[in-house]
Amino acid sequence: MSLPVFFLLLNALWQTVLMVMVSGAASFLLGLPLGVLLVLTRPGQIQERPIFHRLLGLVINAGRSVPFIILMVALIPLTRLLVGTSIGTAAAIVPLSLGATPFVARLVEGALMEVPAGLVEAARAMGARPGQIVRKVLLPEALPGILNAATITLVTLVSYSAMAGVVGGGGLGDVGIRYGYQRFDAGVMAAVVVILILLVQTIQFFGDRLVRRVNHRA
Amino acid sequence: MKIIAVLTSLAATALLLLPGCGKQQTAAHHLKVGVISGAEEQVAEVARQVAHDKFGLDVELVTFNDYVTPNAALADGSIDANAFQHKPFLDQQSKARGYHLVVVGRTFIYPIGAYSKRIHRLAELPDGATIAVPNDPTNLGRSLLLLERQGLIQLRPGAGINATVLDIATNPRKFKIVELEAPQLPRSLPDVDLAIINTTYASEIGLTPPKDGIFVEDSNSPYVNLIVAREDNHSAQSVTQFVQAYQSDEVLAAAQKIFQGGVVKGW
Repeated sequence: MSLPVFFLLLNALWQTVLMVMVSGAASFLLGLPLGVLLVLTRPGQIQERPIFHRLLGLVINAGRSVPFIILMVALIPLTRLLVGTSIGTAAAIVPLSLGATPFVARLVEGALMEVPAGLVEAARAMGARPGQIVRKVLLPEALPGILNAATITLVTLVSYSAMAGVVGGGGLGDVGIRYGYQRFDAGVMAAVVVILILLVQTIQFFGDRLVRRVNHRA
Repeated sequence: MKIIAVLTSLAATALLLLPGCGKQQTAAHHLKVGVISGAEEQVAEVARQVAHDKFGLDVELVTFNDYVTPNAALADGSIDANAFQHKPFLDQQSKARGYHLVVVGRTFIYPIGAYSKRIHRLAELPDGATIAVPNDPTNLGRSLLLLERQGLIQLRPGAGINATVLDIATNPRKFKIVELEAPQLPRSLPDVDLAIINTTYASEIGLTPPKDGIFVEDSNSPYVNLIVAREDNHSAQSVTQFVQAYQSDEVLAAAQKIFQGGVVKGW
């Protein structure tokens, strides 16, 4: 492998890691409260608001239906507003974050639903307010599930970030598409795939370790 | 002129027909033609109409959004012909993937050009400027060659038409080259100093090469677009008729209108 190609891959790895980590964090910042809201407003839950719940569900589903490549182009004005440009790695982070947010919301909802209803019931009987129930019961109890959701989100973002090349975001997927797929460079393609496998394995390894550490039920 | 072209293509197809009578997959009056969605599709739509009116040929346009699949679809028989590419791209794809595709006619030259919302003349281009270029193999090489011809960069000797940013030997003015998906380039104009854009996409936002281009490819470009078929159907009557329909005054007029003069007749 020539030196320029090595630096190409190194730079692409950095771009992928940057995109995945920043958009992962941002999508959790936005998606976690949405997931909590989804659960709390569910019929039969402590803050039930059936109509709000259904509307929120609709918006989240709509967000998940938009093909990512279209979302990237549609969000250009917002991207320009937030990062000052519509091209480059930083610009790709905006649609990646917003694209992953509804996904995170659903995963968090799933994790929170796993918390035994009896625990919430007990907290309520002891006079805990909804805010306390969320912070002291729901979130801590669902932490392994939420961390698992975070791992799934990061791995999903790795493959989503492959499309960042459309807006000049770079990354491993972009190098794989442009040098491997379009130019039939099997060496670069293989290198990209191997690096991606290692990256995903690393994310999953640390994700699993964290889950095991916080899991007191197992 | 037109008659000579038609006769030549008929003679050529007749000659090619002689050696092998391959399997005839194309139905006599139905032809599936792959085109790129957007303005080129509108031009092909006129050719479809002409083919219908003149020859009673039923042309079905299949639209694509990228430059790799139309040839794959043609090679595997999903479509009968395509009209979207020039010779260097066809050669590169055929060599890389072992396609046996045959050029059956020429269409238009859509010159690639440099556009800007920040400068009006090349002389105004600042050092360290951001230049956006298409990221697919052929258009990237084509754009880099254009930049080299303008004296902005220098490519490694022998880099050829498939040059990549890795082939840039010297970049004394420290331009930042950003590679984007070709359809994305018009949208990037507010964010870059210069963007090299194919006419197909430039025309979508009302930019025409002679009027708005900071600099444009020469008119004697090797990048004239082609109608391409397969070895087994390139001499079929329906294919020949479609080529004739495409190389008509109606299509030329439509193309000049749609591309606002940013297109050159290739036949």
